[in-house]
Amino acid sequence: MSIRQKLRLKFIAVIFLALVSGLIAYPEAVSKIPPLFDFFSKPKINLGLDIQGGIHMEYQADVSEIESAKIPEAMQAVQDVVERRVNAFGVAEPTIYTTRSGNDQRLIVELAGVKDIEEAKNLIKETPFLEFREETTIGAEQQIPEDVLSSMNEEAKKKAEDILKRALAGEDFAALARENSEDPGSKDNGGEYDFIPRGSFVPEYEDVVFNKGLQNGQIYPELVETTFGWHIIKRIEIRGDGDSAEFKSAHILIAKKTQPQPQIDFSPTGLSGKNLESASVVFQSQGLSEPQVSLKFDEEGTKLFAEITKRNVGKRVAIYLDNQVISAPTVQNEITNGEAVITGNFTIDEANDLVKRLNEGALPVPITLVSQQSVEASLGQASLEKSLKAGIIGLVAVLVFMIVYYRLLGLIASAALLIYAALMVTIFKLSGYTPWSITLTLPGIAGFILSIGMAVDANILIFERTKEEVKKGRTVLGAIEEGFKRAWTSIRDGNVSSIITAIILIIFGTGFVKGFAVTLLIGVLLSMFTAVTITRTILRFVMGEWVENKLCLIGIKK
Amino acid sequence: MLNIISKTKYAYVFSGALTLLSLVFLSIWGLKFGIDFTGGTLMEIKFAESVPANQEVEETLRDLNLGSLTLQPSTNNSMLVRYASEDDGVNQTVFQKLSEKYPGAQQLRVDFINSAVSGELKKKSWYSVIAAVIGIMSYIAWAFRKVSRPVESWKYGVGAVVALIHDVLITVGMFSVLGNFYGIEVGIPFVAALLTILGFSVHDTIVVYDRTRENLLKGSSKEKFPDVVNRSLNETLVRSINTSLTVIITLLSIYIFGGESIKYFSLALLVGVTFGTYSSIFIASALLVTSYNLQKS
Repeated sequence: MSIRQKLRLKFIAVIFLALVSGLIAYPEAVSKIPPLFDFFSKPKINLGLDIQGGIHMEYQADVSEIESAKIPEAMQAVQDVVERRVNAFGVAEPTIYTTRSGNDQRLIVELAGVKDIEEAKNLIKETPFLEFREETTIGAEQQIPEDVLSSMNEEAKKKAEDILKRALAGEDFAALARENSEDPGSKDNGGEYDFIPRGSFVPEYEDVVFNKGLQNGQIYPELVETTFGWHIIKRIEIRGDGDSAEFKSAHILIAKKTQPQPQIDFSPTGLSGKNLESASVVFQSQGLSEPQVSLKFDEEGTKLFAEITKRNVGKRVAIYLDNQVISAPTVQNEITNGEAVITGNFTIDEANDLVKRLNEGALPVPITLVSQQSVEASLGQASLEKSLKAGIIGLVAVLVFMIVYYRLLGLIASAALLIYAALMVTIFKLSGYTPWSITLTLPGIAGFILSIGMAVDANILIFERTKEEVKKGRTVLGAIEEGFKRAWTSIRDGNVSSIITAIILIIFGTGFVKGFAVTLLIGVLLSMFTAVTITRTILRFVMGEWVENKLCLIGIKK
Repeated sequence: MLNIISKTKYAYVFSGALTLLSLVFLSIWGLKFGIDFTGGTLMEIKFAESVPANQEVEETLRDLNLGSLTLQPSTNNSMLVRYASEDDGVNQTVFQKLSEKYPGAQQLRVDFINSAVSGELKKKSWYSVIAAVIGIMSYIAWAFRKVSRPVESWKYGVGAVVALIHDVLITVGMFSVLGNFYGIEVGIPFVAALLTILGFSVHDTIVVYDRTRENLLKGSSKEKFPDVVNRSLNETLVRSINTSLTVIITLLSIYIFGGESIKYFSLALLVGVTFGTYSSIFIASALLVTSYNLQKS
């Protein structure tokens, strides 16, 4: 392959890189071509909390009560609990992790786009709460003896018959309904229901309205019995027919008395997670080894549990975690040894999960909020718009400066700078697909804008060197090559110091500093590539013998 | 060719005076530290109508007995409320009081830092500054290990470090003034800006030193050391100015258009970069010549 061919290939590669990164950075450019737009607009920049709004919280965990060997486990447990709570709150992609700072154990929680920050905080703060509840039946004491009930209903039926007679005798139906009906939905309306579609009422009722040959305005001359009680029905009007028929009617209801339904509920027993010593997964020793969850109570818990099981034999005792029932086993007999086994159709995973959750409930590590940064979404949005504006103005100003000062060379450096900017955005967007996802924060944008100014430094070094070599009498083409060669050590040495500071900032920094330093570091490394390799490729491709007579094109006065 | 080295005296006086002034300001006023370093709360409240007068807000919050409460009206109908308390419960009461008195008030931002955390941030900031200085010094000493005549390589390192201490001190002095007269606080972003200035200042100095090294290695033995340095300075002068210009253009753009949150961060960088460029031209190389002259006499 000749040098020229190689160069052409490299140039095509540069154009390709520019096109692809340009489209990823700014897919709106092809918004009129849907398939392309869809493809390139998929990668998104991961925006930081200071831009999309959200809250960053640091909790200090009080682990003074915990053996040092068990601290990591306890912290993991706290993290899991908080994670579960946050997930219940419905936050998209929360970031939750534990970190150590000296001897302090910290839990960091970052929630993006949370509307109600205080509510989110309350939810997190709530200590995991495990409790045992026993079955109670509500309404059992209100049972009515059967004979009393039937005589009550006899009376009701008589009353209904009496009203029916009066209605048939011509008394005002509406007044009778107002006075006697026990249907709260129609009583005040004189018993009347406006048009409703056929099929809305119980069949006995509709059967009378449609099929008993009633005329409009006529009262059905018999009582109609339904589950609700006894109805005196008056047909008012029917319109439409078949399935789409609608009817207007009035009725007087004398309700039937029924037994109150006993309701089963669980009420607290006073036995809670603080009485639990530990929970573990055990396997049934006989037959199929089905996993079970074994609980061990402390002294107070043992006593309480014995009392609870004694009074609840044959009934269920429910285990609640954060007010949600997780299991409700039936008590077989009184348990006095402070140990309980929850059998259920657990899979091993379910049993492990339950044990983990029980131990969490039993091992709450108190946490306190020690640091918080919250940004309301509108403020973040405004900051983003401002900094983008600053970035564009800065970029354009640098481009203008380079082109005015270095003419053709500046134009080529500008192309390289634009490719640099597109590549930076591309790296931000594509990093989301790697384990090293970069989050763009406001300081990150500041770092990016600053790096635009610094990125052209390498070009300035090269071009100044080139001009110098031309003045010494070299040909322009030779001077360009020499400029690249000579300037390289300065570019490398100069950037190393920026890289050192950026790395130190990344190591020691938190939040603000890290965001800034990461972009700066990537910017410095990337700009070495664009300013040297890309500029050189374009320059070599564009430049030819013709340039020797046009020194003004590279900004040299003759 | 400009005889920059011959102007060394003026540069030393100018820089010496500025550095001294910065030290004086620092010792009198110190820096106004933000909650990053002191602990406490910073709340930004947006009001539905116009921003109420400071006294009125102070009155509203009086019974809460907030320590070192400061109020600062900001852009867009909002106000920055700072106080020493670091209790989340207090923050909620503060906002509750304000929203009762001023219906429609919105909490744009609530940052609070416990003093344990702020102490830690302070410590970390010191570590990072120290690590950066050590890292940069060792790098320079290593990069210039091959040049030992007529000035030893470590002196390049010292020269660069003196120049960057000068840049950083002047920037810090400037913020001491800004803090005293305009209440501008320094926090973690300021430390990040200082470290960036360190990197940039050294970057600039290295380019000049690099040229000096190159000229020394290939130059004729007849040319005197001060002349070699001066020639190197001239050869890199346009580059130094142009590079700084592009950086200053972008920083100005951030300062003017970038919004409140990164305004003073970019201002610190702006001051530091400007002095960094100045010092790499007028101070860093001059120090090499001064040390050479001392050595000779």
